[in-house]
This record gives sequence, structure tokens and C-alpha cells, in this order.
Amino acid sequence: MRYGMAIDLKRCIGCYGCQLSCKAEHGTPPGVFFARVVKREFGTFPNTQLVYLPTLCFHCTNAPCVDVCPTGASHYREGGVVDITKDDCVGCRACMQACPYGARYFNETQTGYFPGQGLTPYEQKKYAAQNVGIVLKCNFCIDRVQAGLEPACVANCAARARTFGDLDDPHSEVSQLVRLRGGEQLQPELGTRPNVYYLPPA
Amino acid sequence: MTTDQWIASTCGLCYGTCSIRAHVVDDVLVKIEGNPESAIGRGRLCGKGVAGIMTLYDPNRVNVPLRRTNPVKGKGVDPGWREISWDEALDEVTARLTKVHDDDPRKLFIQRTTTNTAIRAPMMMFAAAFGTPNSWAAGGGLHCGNGAHLIGGLYHASWSLVPDFKHCRLAIYFGASKGHGAGHVSCTNMQDAADARARGMRLVVVDPMANFASAKANEWVPIRPGTDAALALAMVDVILNDLGVWDAEYLAQKTNAPYLIGPDGCYVRDAETGKPLVWDAARGHAVRYDTPDGAALALEGAYDVAGVRARPAFVLLREHVRQFSPEWAERISTVPAATIRRLAREFATEAMVGSTIVLDGKRLPYRPVAAIYFRGSQGHKNSVYNCFAIELLNQVVGAADVVGGALGFNPVCYGHPETGKPWYEPKSGPDGLMITGTWVAPHLPYPISDPKHPSTMSLGGLFPLGMFGPTMASSDQEELWTKFGLPYRPEVMLNYGANSLLSVGNSDTVAETLARIPFIVSFDITLTEFSEFADLVLPDASYLEALDSRPNVPFIFNHPAGLGAWSWPVRQPVVPPAGQRRSAAEVLIALVDRLGIREEFNAVANTHLKLDGPHRLEFGTPYRHEEICDRELKSHFGAERGLAWFKEHGVISWPKRVEEVYWRAFLDVRVPVYWEFLIGLNRKAKPIANAAGLDWDDAWYDPLPRWMPCPSHEVQDGAFDLWGFYYRDTLHTNSFTNENPWLDEASRLDPFSYTIALNAATGRRKGLRDGQPVTLESPHGRRVRGRVHLTETVHPECVGIGGCAGHWAKTLPIARGKGVMFNDLLEVDWAHGSPVNLNLDTCVKLRIAP
Repeated sequence: MRYGMAIDLKRCIGCYGCQLSCKAEHGTPPGVFFARVVKREFGTFPNTQLVYLPTLCFHCTNAPCVDVCPTGASHYREGGVVDITKDDCVGCRACMQACPYGARYFNETQTGYFPGQGLTPYEQKKYAAQNVGIVLKCNFCIDRVQAGLEPACVANCAARARTFGDLDDPHSEVSQLVRLRGGEQLQPELGTRPNVYYLPPA
Repeated sequence: MTTDQWIASTCGLCYGTCSIRAHVVDDVLVKIEGNPESAIGRGRLCGKGVAGIMTLYDPNRVNVPLRRTNPVKGKGVDPGWREISWDEALDEVTARLTKVHDDDPRKLFIQRTTTNTAIRAPMMMFAAAFGTPNSWAAGGGLHCGNGAHLIGGLYHASWSLVPDFKHCRLAIYFGASKGHGAGHVSCTNMQDAADARARGMRLVVVDPMANFASAKANEWVPIRPGTDAALALAMVDVILNDLGVWDAEYLAQKTNAPYLIGPDGCYVRDAETGKPLVWDAARGHAVRYDTPDGAALALEGAYDVAGVRARPAFVLLREHVRQFSPEWAERISTVPAATIRRLAREFATEAMVGSTIVLDGKRLPYRPVAAIYFRGSQGHKNSVYNCFAIELLNQVVGAADVVGGALGFNPVCYGHPETGKPWYEPKSGPDGLMITGTWVAPHLPYPISDPKHPSTMSLGGLFPLGMFGPTMASSDQEELWTKFGLPYRPEVMLNYGANSLLSVGNSDTVAETLARIPFIVSFDITLTEFSEFADLVLPDASYLEALDSRPNVPFIFNHPAGLGAWSWPVRQPVVPPAGQRRSAAEVLIALVDRLGIREEFNAVANTHLKLDGPHRLEFGTPYRHEEICDRELKSHFGAERGLAWFKEHGVISWPKRVEEVYWRAFLDVRVPVYWEFLIGLNRKAKPIANAAGLDWDDAWYDPLPRWMPCPSHEVQDGAFDLWGFYYRDTLHTNSFTNENPWLDEASRLDPFSYTIALNAATGRRKGLRDGQPVTLESPHGRRVRGRVHLTETVHPECVGIGGCAGHWAKTLPIARGKGVMFNDLLEVDWAHGSPVNLNLDTCVKLRIAP
């Protein structure tokens, strides 16, 4: 079992549904995004293309963040999911420097989304689960997955651009998409062996 | 004890109104997801939809009624709010409205937002019961739909159109983003459009900017703003005159193309019945278009009929478009002539005229091409001809509401299998042309009512092709009202959620018009720039705290097109309204009884909501909002499926039929490729306008379309070297969502959302660097300031600005100072409005101010 994701750049329309449903699911504080959409343009006018690139933690098989973690807080879970044990994280942020994909965030303070106006009832409820002074990241919504659900960003994607599943199973939808569509990892030369693949936009 | 519930309801962050499920734990909303049991969104939401939690819990929400203490009104002037009780507030509203009602009910000016559509029915019913015709959507219509929606209605009996995503092979979008992140049916369309891309549908997008639909297109065709008609007319010319392709059967049976036109441009009519005549090639003489035993209708030739030389309208159309060569269109639109010829050939070829397909055992026409128009092509003075010209592409090849073609959103519904309701279909009207089966606004796209001396604030009576007019908030409003002798002035404004300071045009002009209204009462969830002009603010329940029995009705507005399912969901409170917030729909009904207009209101409600049998309202009986919702649901779905059933189940769904989706082949209605009715309209309207001293140009009233310049095209001063336009940002709906901090945060990180997009080469030539603050200036001296984003994705002549941002109210701390208010550059006056449908021109010539 090796959990992974295929993100179809042909289907994605950059609606931010993943970024914001992730935020709603996890109650991440301002500036923290387990899922994000970035926009990159290629070419010159008029032969130009704007590409919407949804990102998240790539749950690398050779995760540099796990290697550098001094306390073992960053670790591989079942299915190869890279996660952080909150109680073991000392907030040294070595993992953030090690991650070449910028997928980790330091939770500096318990500031809400309405500065100076306190926390909303939603934030009060969700922030209780977030510890201050530690590093936060995507864990493929492992709690949802174990409950038989898809990760929040996958379940909500209106364009169905994100497919989640077992990359070790050659018959899984995600494996087939990666194989048939020529899925590519980001910066494979780094040797991190990401488990998130991008399917080409054209 | 922990409580944990999922409550089915409906999103209210744009008029897409997707079905949602809200997760509420211990009375706190912790998640919003799509409702997979509904066809509306199919269980998935956009970024706005999931971010609604932050709108609900915004600490800047209004919680109590507020009364202004400062009599001085102006932009940035503190109203000096004083908290008052609901009783005190409603007493004052009642007193003000009673005086107006006794005096002249037309003095009540009703304004609403297009963001939250739930208020449309209650406000329209209230206005009708009160007796005021003066109602508008504060920029809605003026910018987005006076042309596109009415022409969608004229041709497709629907508010708007999409390609048949399941079968279309080539879609050409003219300034539209259907399926790419915003607007009607937004989330379902996103799914269907992604499937179409995966399947291989070719998408060509004509747009000055390559984001959203154009970013996903196979081909982006950059165009100068406001020139879509030139491009489309040249394509029609190539198709009809160079390629000689058209769908003769469709044109003869489903349009007025065979109607004989006399030398005066009008139909040649049957002396006895007055019905238009057609030439029957088999009989060798003219017959009525609806001759019962059918006719071989000629589309070509010239005939002596009733003493005149008459030709089929189709001949006139073919001759008319000859003047619009691709080379001519290139000069206007900047689209190369070779591209125009190629697109025309591709469209004509892919249409596969004559082909059929069998669906559900029925052989149907198969025309897998669609020309789609919306905000970009429609947001101009020339919106009518822009949309008309583009629609002709669908019409000449017969790609309208057939398999693969341009589909209206659900113009035919034969109802739930158990009740047969809701039921509607288009029917044949005057001269055989189509009347919609259901519509969104009181006045129909067809038949065109006779123009009359205007007696409303919008001057609408004189311009029956338009929905809303700029005079509701224009700089020359008083001058025009005086010209036409409007016998009253607005005395009370009842506003629901609209922030017209931002949504119409430049805020100074709008502010002047608002400052002249003696009393303004506004339902709002936060105080906005508009509130600075309000006398009374009533704290509204948000969409997550309110009840609505019809969030997706009528289906022609925001229900997915194409085969699949019908779904009728409800909206219900997922948490109780906090503070003293009350749902505006309930408050309006309380006002109905206070004003003593209950009989009128109930009569209107019976008709408007199609209440039926035992569920009709007794005229004298007071009903609460909830009871009316219950009766509406029972009227459609049976006594056992009232509000209680819907609160439990959230939504009712049933399968669509082929006859509903591909209705064109099944219904005997025609649509106009030749707008003969414009001749009569002009003949009647012009003397009324002239008598009032209004200049009139007949060119806007030709029965066949042409390209007419926008005011921006006529600016002579070469210093103004850029065309400015705004576009809908997927992250925002109107000016409303800028206050949502999750969406604001996403916008701040997005390269386009809050910036001024300028072509990189153009920017470099001007010595600008990415991120540099610039001031844009219009020829009228209007200015806005923002950061420039240099990009390859914009036409070199243009600047594109996202959304409707640039708030300045201190009461909106998240939204304040973010993004750019494009509308502040727009003039709102007669010269910038369409003299045929009152559409406002939304492109403007600009320069980077020194």
C-alpha cells in the first residue's frame, strides 16, 4: 500500500475549491495551506498558457523532511503518508528548510482570520486541535481516508482533477492515470520520489 | 453532550446556488460540503462555497437594527449609527412606506443584489403588491444580462446558454466562462466542462484575456473589447457566402428565415389573417407560415406577392452579411482575417449539417458546435447586436437545443413523475415566434411590448428590449426624468444587500443619486459603502441562517443543462440567526401586514409561486414566510412533501427526459434570424423620444445586426492608449465576498485577483515593472489606483481588472483597501447606455496617469 495522488492539469480550472476545502476541513490558521493553487504562465503573447498548479505535500518516498527531523516527529505512516507527531515536534523548522516543495508551515501564533477581533466560533473549535509553535502539514487527510472517505481536496474537486488511491496497486484508478497519461513528478532529479503525479495540461 | 449533524441546504455565495450539506457540531458550523444527492453541484463546491463559514461568523456582521443620526450623507461620512429595536425600526419603515403608498406607490425604489438570489421572489412580490414598477438589481442586467439574457430567452427560452458538454465537438466562447469557475450553474458546469475537455471537445475562447475559460481553451483568440459582433458577422458571412453552408431544414422549420420580406423591410402578411407569408415552392405561391398541411418553404429567390417584390428573410441576411468581410472585421477586432476564415470553416464543418443521432430511441438532429456569449460580449452599448450576431452562428447551422449544440438551461420541464409539476414549455406567439415557458423577470423577451411614454425611473417603457436602465443611478438621471416628465421622484429606497456604490459605475455619480433619496432602508449582513447613504439598516440573516423553498427556481436560471437529473432543493437555517438578525423574507411579510397590502401580496404570491389547489393563499389570511414556503413545495410535489419533508431530505430529484433537453425537435416554435419587430418598435419609439428632445439613431433598430462602436472606440485622444475591462474572478461574487478572509487571503496570493493585468510587452514599453503601483485614468478624469501585474495573458492594447473590489468602508476591515474598483472608471449616463436595451458600456479607454 502506497498512497498517492494524480492531479490532472487538463481538468483543473483553478477554482481554489481544494485550497479552501482543505482549509475548512483542517481549520488551518492564516498563511497555512496544506493544499494550494498556484498559477504559472508559459510562452509569450499570443501563444501563451496560464497553468493552474494545485499543490500539497507530495508524501515523498525519500522524504528529506523525515530525514532531518531531530526528534522523529516527522515520520512515515501506513501507506507511506508523511505525518508529524505533534507532541514530538519541537518547532526547530529543519524540515521546512529540507522540503524542496514548500509544503510545511510553522504555526507561529494563534491568530484568527479577523485580526484584533478574536476568534470566530469556528476557529475556537478548530484551533483547539492545532498546537502553536510546531510545524503543520498535509497528511493526505489520513483520518478521513481511514474512515473510508477521500481526502477533502479530492472529494470536493468540482473538475475532478484530483485522484487519490494506492500507487502500489497497478489497477487502481490513480495508477492507471499516471501510467496512461504520463504522470510526472515535480523535480524528480532531487531523488525525493514524490507520490503525487501531475498529468499534463494539454 | 455533543451534537453532530449534517444539514442539507443551499449555497448563497453566488447565483449558482449549489446544493450543500453543512456539518454542525455543538451548534457550530465546522464544514460546508456539496450535497452529492443533488444535480446542482453534484456534491462538489468552488472555493467560495466552502469558505461560507467565514461569512457566517464575520464579527463585523450587523446584529441589531441601526438608525442613522447624522443627516449628512456622503462617501466616507460617518452615519453615526444608533442601535434601535426592531419595533422602532419597523414602525419607522411602516410610516415612511405608508405615506408613499397613499401618495404614489411608484415613489418606492426597490434595489436588490444578484449575489443572493433568494430575495428575488419576495422582493418582486412585495414590489408588485405595493404597486411600484421601480425595481432593479444595482448593476445586474446593466452589466451582465440586458442583452445576453434576453437574447438567450428569445432564441433558447432560457436565461443563458452552454454547449451540450456531453456531445459538443467545437465550442466557441465569446467573452464567457461557462464551466470555468463562475456564474450560473458554476460547479456542475465545471465538472461537465472538464469531462468535455477530457473527451476532446475543442474549445476556442474569444477574449481580451487568457485566464479562466481561455486558459483551458485549445485556442485563445485575443480580441479588442466590444468588437465581438464584427468577428461573429464576418464568420457568418464566410459560412453563408463563401462556404455556402446552412441548415436549410432548421432555418425553414424553426426560424423566420423563410418569411417573405417586402421592400419596406417588414413581413408580407396574409390579407385575411395578418400572418406572415412564406413562399411555397411546391405550390408555386405564397402561403401563411403556419399552413396546416405544410409547405416547401423557400429560403431563396424573389417573388411577386400581394403586389410587392418580396424575398425570404434568409436572402436579406445573406446579402446583409456580405459587407462584413474578414478583412473588415480584422481592422475592428484585431483578429486576423485568416483566423476568422479558419474559425468559420471549422464551425461550419464540425456542425455536420444534416447529421442525426439516436438518443433514447429517438432520432434527433446532431450539430456538435456551439457559439456561447455572455458577460464579455454583452457588456457593451452594442450588447444586442453582439449577442444577436453570435447567436446567428448557432442558428444558421441549426445548432440550437439539439444534440451537441448550444443549449438553453432547461427551457422545458414536464415535472416530477408523480405530480407533473413544475410544468412549462415554450409556445408559439405572435407571428409564430417563440414565447418562453417560464422566465425570471416580469417582462418577457418576446413578444416585445409596444413602446410607450416612459413612466418608470429606468425609462423602461420606451425600451422594451431592456430589463434595467442606467437612469436608476446615472449622472443625467434628473435631466432625463425631466425630459420625459416623470411625475414623481424616488422617496424611499428599499435595498436588499446591494452595494450599488461599487456595483454600477463610478461611485461619485451613484453617490449623488443616492444622496437625493430622502429615506433609504437596507437589509444587510454587514455595513458597506452603501450603508453610508442608508437611514436605517436592518440586520439580515445570512444564507446559512435563512429559509427559502426555491433556491434554484426557475430552472432556466441556475439548474444544469443537458441530460441528467432535475433537483429541487431547499435552503434552511444550519444555525439559528445570531443576535437580532432576521431573515429579510420574513421581515417583508411582516411589513405586508403592517402596510395593509396582504390581499395584494397573497394574490401575487399565488401567481408568482404557482400555488395550486388547497395550497393557494386565502386573500385575507396572514401567512408567515415558512407557511408560504410549505405551500409552494406542496403545490409542486404533493401534500406529503411539504417543508417538513424537505427539511429532512434536503432535495428531491428525478430524471430528465430527452424531450426536455433536446426540445427543439419536438416543439413547433420559431425564432427570429431577422428581427422584423425592431422596425415597428423603432417607428413607435422614435416619436416618443423625439418629442421629449432625445436624440435618436435608427441604426440601432435595424432588423439585422451590425457592429456599432462603444464610446471607448470613439475616443480620439491618442494618449488614452489602453482599453480597460473587468472580468469575473473565480474567487469572488460581485463586491460581496471580498470581506471573506479566506477568499481575501487566496486573492492576495493570486497573481491576478487584486491586480491590474497589463500585457508584459506593453508594460515594458511604458517602463513599468511587475508589482508597481499605477494610476489608471479615463478620458473623463476618473481614476483608480492599483498594482500592475505584467503578463503575457492580456491583449497588448488592454488592461484587465478582476472582480468588483477596492472597498473603502471601515466596517469591512478585511475587504478594505484590497483590489481595484474598476467600476469607478465607468460613466453612467445616456451616452454610455444602449439606445435599444439600455445596457451600460463597461469598457473604457484608459491611460497610465503620469
